[in-house]
Amino acid sequence: MTREHETEHKAYVRPVPITWWLHNRRYFLFMIRESTSVFIALFVLVYLYQLFLVSRGAEVHDMFQETLRSVPFVVGYAIVLLFALYHSITWLGLVSKIQIVRIGRLTIPPFLVGLGAYLSWIVASAVVACLFLTLKVGCIE
Amino acid sequence: MSNGKKITITVTRYRPEQEDEPVEQSYDIDFQDDWVVLDGLNHIKDHIDGSLSFRWSCRMGVCGSCGMMVNGEPKLSCAAFLRDYYPGEVRVEPLQNFPIVRDLIIDMTDFMDKLQAVQPWIIREEEKPVSEGEYLQTPEELKEYKQFSMCINCMLCYAACPVYGLETEFIGPAAIALGHRYNLDSRDEGQERRQHVIASAEGIWECTYIGECSVVCPKDVDPAAAIQRNKVATTGGWFKSVLLPWGKK
Repeated sequence: MTREHETEHKAYVRPVPITWWLHNRRYFLFMIRESTSVFIALFVLVYLYQLFLVSRGAEVHDMFQETLRSVPFVVGYAIVLLFALYHSITWLGLVSKIQIVRIGRLTIPPFLVGLGAYLSWIVASAVVACLFLTLKVGCIE
Repeated sequence: MSNGKKITITVTRYRPEQEDEPVEQSYDIDFQDDWVVLDGLNHIKDHIDGSLSFRWSCRMGVCGSCGMMVNGEPKLSCAAFLRDYYPGEVRVEPLQNFPIVRDLIIDMTDFMDKLQAVQPWIIREEEKPVSEGEYLQTPEELKEYKQFSMCINCMLCYAACPVYGLETEFIGPAAIALGHRYNLDSRDEGQERRQHVIASAEGIWECTYIGECSVVCPKDVDPAAAIQRNKVATTGGWFKSVLLPWGKK
């Protein structure tokens, strides 16, 4: 199906400018949210590379770890963290609009669904953080 | 009676017999505090320039005919008060993302085709005879879909949706919301027939959830939620069909 069809009129089709996302604050925020995935993808690539270096031996891995502690990488990670938080918070904010949760005949109010999503996110993040910190302490010992 | 205030309304003009592309024309009018943009346009047409063309009907936010871009936002022109824009200028354009037929009139054929494609009416496998009475429904069953039944086909959501502007194949917010409305109706048995349109690549999966369709909806229908809920349901249905031995039909 297309919007090309025969009419008696010479209908004028307006082109969509490449800057359409700058015409509205909400379009702009949407594009920021979408672009956060690029930064998160970069973080994942670095992380995968780090895992690859583990197979090359402790010395090579430690050298890369030192590089990661340099100012540019720390600033980069801070930016990635900000974008990851922005993406997570806005994404979880949409959960209550999308997901209808029912228990029997009772429909859970949307704000409770949203609250549950945020709490689950915080708990999951805490579990992952604990796991990594425990592993790190274990490695040092 | 005029309140002594003047406002400038700048209107898109497109007369295909004399212009290759739209131009703007400004009119200075006296207005009253209770005038909406549509009143301003009717004043121009009745007293200043009878050639100005636009659609309207009910003047009370029910028919959905008078949707236009007012200062860049999709609005029902019968619900946008001039006093809210005063002393600034009011810029009125045809709904975004639709071809312009003349002045503020857009070609809505594409929307009508897509609306029809989702079959927004009650489908029964077998109609029961009239003698058996009406199809009954509980208040809870009505509540399931009522929000989505408030759509007046004004197409503001299409004008607000950049995806529809960029991807001409997209079925679009209102059509999907209306399909969803009938899928949720306890009297309906047509979900599978609609699914190949709603759950197609041109349907729900084209949507990137910008959410502007729900922001501009004058009836608080929330088509963005309808689309995302369909994504969740369709994904769940697919997993069930793959993972569960009894899932395949």
